[in-house]
This record gives sequence, C-alpha cells and structure tokens, in this order.
Amino acid sequence: MSTDQDKLITELVEKGLTGDMEPINSIEDRVLRSKAKAALAKAKRAAKSQETAEPKKKKSEEKSSDDLPSSVNLNEKIVYMINEKFSGSLANENTETHIQLKSDQWFEIATWLKSEPSLSFDSLQCQTGIDVGDNTLEARYNFHSMKHNHYTEIRIAVPRKEATIPSVEQIWRIADWFERETYDMLGIEFSGHRDLRRILLPDDWEGWPLRKDYLVQETYHGIVVPKMKEGWE
Amino acid sequence: MGLLENRFNDNVIVEKLDKLLSWGRSTSPWFFQFGTACCAIEMMAAAASRHDLMRIGMIPRSSPRQADVMIVAGTVTMKMALRVKKLYEQMADPKYVVAMGSCATSGGPYWQHGYHVLKGVDIVIPVDVYVPGCPPRPEALIEGLLKLQEQILDERPLTRKMA
Repeated sequence: MSTDQDKLITELVEKGLTGDMEPINSIEDRVLRSKAKAALAKAKRAAKSQETAEPKKKKSEEKSSDDLPSSVNLNEKIVYMINEKFSGSLANENTETHIQLKSDQWFEIATWLKSEPSLSFDSLQCQTGIDVGDNTLEARYNFHSMKHNHYTEIRIAVPRKEATIPSVEQIWRIADWFERETYDMLGIEFSGHRDLRRILLPDDWEGWPLRKDYLVQETYHGIVVPKMKEGWE
Repeated sequence: MGLLENRFNDNVIVEKLDKLLSWGRSTSPWFFQFGTACCAIEMMAAAASRHDLMRIGMIPRSSPRQADVMIVAGTVTMKMALRVKKLYEQMADPKYVVAMGSCATSGGPYWQHGYHVLKGVDIVIPVDVYVPGCPPRPEALIEGLLKLQEQILDERPLTRKMA
C-alpha cells in the first residue's frame, strides 16, 4: 500500500510545485490529502533554502546589520540596529563596555531585544541600580543570549526627581524581583510593573537607602534606629 | 505559676519548695527553635549530636507557647525586631532570653552604619545572658546556657520579694 501511496504523493507534489493544486485538493481521503500537502510544503521549503543559499544580493539592498564589517563587536552592531529602528533613543554612542539608552522607548527596545532573531536576548541575568551622583540614578541590565552565547549591558540614567523607567517585568519574568529590589533601594519607579512593592525593607520604611542623600529615620515603630549605645567606643 | 508566685513568706518549707521548683525549671529549659542569621548554624550544631544540648535538658520547641528560653541567634533587622518582640510576648512565663552573637548583643558589624539593624536585641526585649562571638562556637553557647541555668537555680519563685 505504502509504495503506491508514495508514488501518488510524489506525482501530486510535482504537480503542486508547478502551481496546479487541483489534484491535491480533490483527494477524498483526508489522511492522504494532508500527507500530500505536508510533502508539498516540505518540497517548497527545500527549494526556497536552495535559492537563498546561492545568491545573497537581494537582501543587501535593505539596510541591515549584514552590511557591517565582521570586525565590529556586538555592542556596535546593537547600537547600529537601534539607531535604525528606534532613532533618538540612544543617550550616547559610546559602546566600549555598555549601551547607554534613554528611558522613553525602553519597553519597545526591550521587546525587540528579546524577539530579534540575530540578538535573541532571552535571559536577563541581572538588573540593578546605582546612584551615580549629580542627581542621577541609573538602572543597569545585563543580558545574555542562550542561542548565540553573547552578552551585553544596557544602562538607563534618569534624574533623581522623576525617576521613572518602563518596566520589563512582563518581558522577562525574572525582572519582577530585580526591579522591586532596585525600587526598594533607590526609589526608581518602574512603570507598568504589576506588583511594585518594597522587597527587603518593611513596607512602611521611609526613604531610599542606597541614594547618596539618604538620611536614616530616627525611629521605627518606637524603636530608635541610629546607634544609641554611646561609651562603647 | 501566677497564683502562687511571690506569695509566701520565707520559711523552711517554702525554701525547699522553691529549690525544687527552680531545680525543675533549670534542668529543662526548652528553647524556642528559630534563627535570624548565621548564628543559627552554630545553634543547630550545638543542638546536634556532637554537642547535644539535650544532655543539659534543652529540647528545641517549634512553638513559642511551649518554650522557656528564646535564643536570639543572629542579626535582628528592624523588620524582624517587631516580630521577635511579638514572639517573646507569646511565650509563657517564666521566660528567658539568650542573646547569641555580636549582632544580637550590640548590632555587631552593623552597629554604626547599618540603617536596618537593631543595635542589640535588648532594646526590644529583656536579655538574661549575652554570648559574645561572631558567631560563638557551640561550646560558648553551652557556657552561656549553663550560666542561665545557674541563674534560674538561684531564683526563689514562691518567696515574697523584699520591698
């Protein structure tokens, strides 16, 4: 039975490749029809990959990272691609150790960083914050791609007074607690985070301890917070 | 003990009963099994077979209502301080507290700049024995607990206190 069927299918596929779908669609037996269709799709895919493997000229007409010389490092490539897609969202062009971004388009860029096949940063390894002085707070993200085994670091600086950054918690679930910790310590608001509470300190704590201008509160529920046992020194 | 505690004038019978009671208390001070930081590891080692706290009558209890001794083993943060106080209040009288390690006695390494650490657990609850060390070895903890037993043995639960 199977040899007959195979013969039939190859015949049908040959017809299908020339554009004649009638014979396949008119098969009564459902199983046979789906088998024939699958074989046709496979044949089409094989033909396509042969085509693309030979000449690569058409692709290079569109601007893409393929034009870049192979000597550029990953950060330069990402900066180039971000400039193409999200113009104006780079804070500066320095790519030596990290990529400095502005906060406004961060959510879109983050979504793209994960979905773009040539980057596919599927793992957020660390998200942390730092007070860099000059009334500026900075959130830092370390990304790794399991597929390509490459790393990059993204930094986003925001002024202390309106420290708001779009949350990436819905893109990488690990960012949930990371962002809560950054919020706890530095008071950076992550807009769009679904559960932005303090994670380490008690909920009713006052102030952001890792900011440079932090002053310890005097009492907490009637307990004196700063050191009070004088005479020990 | 509420009805009989500190109700009687000192005499031979009361003294003997006092001795019996305090001996009973001192030889079975069950401790509250919880730890707040790394000192808890040493407390566990002390309770395990090599050092064996059970030979001095100390059994770990998981509920504050069954415990007589609270060993505060480790750093007490401000967030934890309220909970430690609540747990202490849940223990039944007579109750004793052992502050184990530098953090519980004075704040330890956080005592000057740690904004989040209680500078000694004696700020929120009364402490009977302080065990220094960072962390103290099980021997040191056992020494502290023996001191606590001596302290309990000297008590006069029934005798009326002199004004």
